[in-house]
Amino acid sequence: MLKDITLGQYFPIKSVVHRMDARFKIIITMLFLVMLFWGQRLTTLGAGLFFVIVATACSRIPPKMIVKSIKPIVPVLIITGLFNLFLLDGGKIYWKWHFLKLTEEGVHTSAFMIARICLLIAGTSLLTYTTSPIVLTDAIESLLSPLKKLKMPVHELAMMMTIALRFIPTLIEETDKIMSAQKARGADLESGGLIQRTKALTPILIPLFVSAFRRAEELALAMECRCYHGGEGRTRLRVLKSGLRDYLALAFTLLLFATVILCRIYVRF
Amino acid sequence: MPILEANNLTYTYSIGSPFQKTAVDHINLQIEQGEFIGIIGHTGSGKSTLMQMMNGLLKPTEGTVLLDGKDIWAKKADRRAVRFQVGLVFQYPEYQLFEETVYKDIAFGPKNMGLDEKEIDRRVRETAEAVGLDEKLLEQSPYALSGGQKRRAAIAGVMAMEPRVLILDEPTAGLDPLGRTTVLTQLREYHKKTGCTVMLVSHSMEDVAKYVSKLLVLSHAKVVCYDTPERVFARGAELEQIGLALPQITKVFHGLKERGITFPEEVYTVRFGAELLRAKLEGSTPPC
Amino acid sequence: MESLIKIDHVRFSYQTDEENAEPAEVLKDISLEFEHGELVAVLGHNGSGKSTLAKLINGILRPTSGVVTVAGMDTSDEEKLLEIRQHVGMVFQNPDNQIVATVVEEDVAFGLENLGMPSDEMRIRVDQALHAVGMYEYRNHAPHQLSGGQKQRVAIAGIIAMRPDCIVLDEPTAMLDPQGRIEVMRTVKMLNRDYGITVILITHEMDEAAQCDRVIVIDHGTVHMDAPPNKVFSHVDEMRALGLDVPQVTELCSILRGAGYDLDPEILDVSTCVEAIAELFSQKGITQNADSGSK
Repeated sequence: MLKDITLGQYFPIKSVVHRMDARFKIIITMLFLVMLFWGQRLTTLGAGLFFVIVATACSRIPPKMIVKSIKPIVPVLIITGLFNLFLLDGGKIYWKWHFLKLTEEGVHTSAFMIARICLLIAGTSLLTYTTSPIVLTDAIESLLSPLKKLKMPVHELAMMMTIALRFIPTLIEETDKIMSAQKARGADLESGGLIQRTKALTPILIPLFVSAFRRAEELALAMECRCYHGGEGRTRLRVLKSGLRDYLALAFTLLLFATVILCRIYVRF
Repeated sequence: MPILEANNLTYTYSIGSPFQKTAVDHINLQIEQGEFIGIIGHTGSGKSTLMQMMNGLLKPTEGTVLLDGKDIWAKKADRRAVRFQVGLVFQYPEYQLFEETVYKDIAFGPKNMGLDEKEIDRRVRETAEAVGLDEKLLEQSPYALSGGQKRRAAIAGVMAMEPRVLILDEPTAGLDPLGRTTVLTQLREYHKKTGCTVMLVSHSMEDVAKYVSKLLVLSHAKVVCYDTPERVFARGAELEQIGLALPQITKVFHGLKERGITFPEEVYTVRFGAELLRAKLEGSTPPC
Repeated sequence: MESLIKIDHVRFSYQTDEENAEPAEVLKDISLEFEHGELVAVLGHNGSGKSTLAKLINGILRPTSGVVTVAGMDTSDEEKLLEIRQHVGMVFQNPDNQIVATVVEEDVAFGLENLGMPSDEMRIRVDQALHAVGMYEYRNHAPHQLSGGQKQRVAIAGIIAMRPDCIVLDEPTAMLDPQGRIEVMRTVKMLNRDYGITVILITHEMDEAAQCDRVIVIDHGTVHMDAPPNKVFSHVDEMRALGLDVPQVTELCSILRGAGYDLDPEILDVSTCVEAIAELFSQKGITQNADSGSK
């Protein structure tokens, strides 16, 4: 259903990973990304694959879901693959035609790039599969809070994010209703060229904007009545708590990270 | 031949998902030309879904809707043309106003029908008058109108298509008592003047009882009854059981009946009730 | 003891854009007092000034002249606003546009979070508030999964979690179906009865006003009547002239009184009405038996 869009990719089951502190999950995911881009080829792939497998197993997310998350980026994979395959130079030359050539280096790099992007998507999907958007927002606010000292509006951004998540289903429902209402007045939304179709959106977009502004105004008033006065001195009902399992997970990731870096420096393969 | 007919009409939301729900369940219904029908049922009884199928906005999962005996989902049927004949006013219709002026907004429907300027002008002015919007307001922005005026301008926008069936989904929701009476009285006038069929969806028996010629009561996706108000209100206990409140005045007469003070007629308006009581009290008073 | 809320000779007009335009006066010299524990309806048609009055009570608007005090604090005093809003909570018409969070219990906590309450104390208050409005089972739901009446109860929970002395509800049922209306009215009356919270219910529905202890009728920015509901609704013609309804039974009795029958003008509910009319018939000597005998 359209209305469930606020859940994003969140896959609501119970697992160790779901229960982890979202801040740690974000940090771990970051480390994982850095590792993917920093390491040497084989160690990176090995470590990355190992990480994704362990994390998936712990999160109890069906592997099918991970594969599904990669689907939308297949075109990107193909383009990246082809570029690297035919445009890179080095090593044995298998085939050549004008400026296009197939070399050993090209084949390796292209395979590596594809594998790396797949791992990258799998890793970040695990984060969004196991963490609801609202918890994610809280965690980002908490992680960025040192930036408040630099006068960055961290709280305001997080509040905006929360309100957006709150109102997406409401506005989708409203769009549906306005579309039906205008169709009942004979609005033709389906035929005609691009310009005509864009024009046909006016009767939908204007009421939608007017309504969104009205909602914003009323919400601001309601928030003010409930003593909202910015992030200063504000506490939260749900406090992000970290425990042993979060530190263990972080330690595990750091270990993996260190291995990959050490391999890059000393082993060189 | 009935103007609108539902045969075995069914609508199921989100088939195959855990949210699957049948909103309209094998409903058969015949709407005769020129009726003023009140449609009553609580939230989730299927009223809105049924109305949206009646003008082809929703495609039934099963069954057919016939307009003048023709299936509106037949292969060659033109659904846009159906919507011009079966006009539908949604709940809170003022949320769909979008043009620069009230005039242009009311003209939106007729313009989509491809009518010429002169005809559009006639329709806009006539319907604006029908809903009591002053000529001067037509050149104003719809957003400058008062709440009640906005509502009426939006209703005029559908009326201006001169549909043969006018369906309104809770046209009085959120209005104050005066606003409610204004809208309902204007609808009655419009119905009388144009002779078109009007279907009025409402939560409130008390509100619609005095205006309609027939009541359609829905509950749990099915038709409970479809009859004249008198006959519907006579089944008071049944209505209360499905969670619909009877008008206070009807309850008074049901209470009197229990006390042995009976009247052959079913009462649902105060004026009529008072007349009956007076007649009975006076008629039985020994002349002095 | 000092009244909880005191409105003293208050006038209010909205600032208009045009400089020359005479600002329209929405409230004209209103004086009212609300005591602890009252259940009051402010009844008036749209545009009568009743919503403006509501907004003056917790300092969203400040009077053009006159003084509004809440627990002794002047609402024009900017410094006191935060404290005033802890004393007087407000619930609005559209349930959707006052829920901030994506999870029910977090929304109920919103006000407490703003006050900087420690998390464990907040937990207790949130759970209590949700129990009070009967929404505890729904604490982990998203707002869009709830019905209108349920959303409005969540909004009320968000206010009572702050333990205010008074709740002002601005047409809380206008956008709800009959079921939702019943839920909200039941909740509001319970809060007044069991928790002693002062309730000021802004409405144009006479059946809601009839459930309160005191009804203030506002028209054109002035207080037209201020009395218990049975007294207010006995003025059938006057209420009609103000664009307001009266209960059908009250109207029925008023018509019969007009025809010379001795009926109490202050009847509001069906059973009393049936009782009174039956009494009328028995006075006339028309009983069940006489009735069937006469036919």
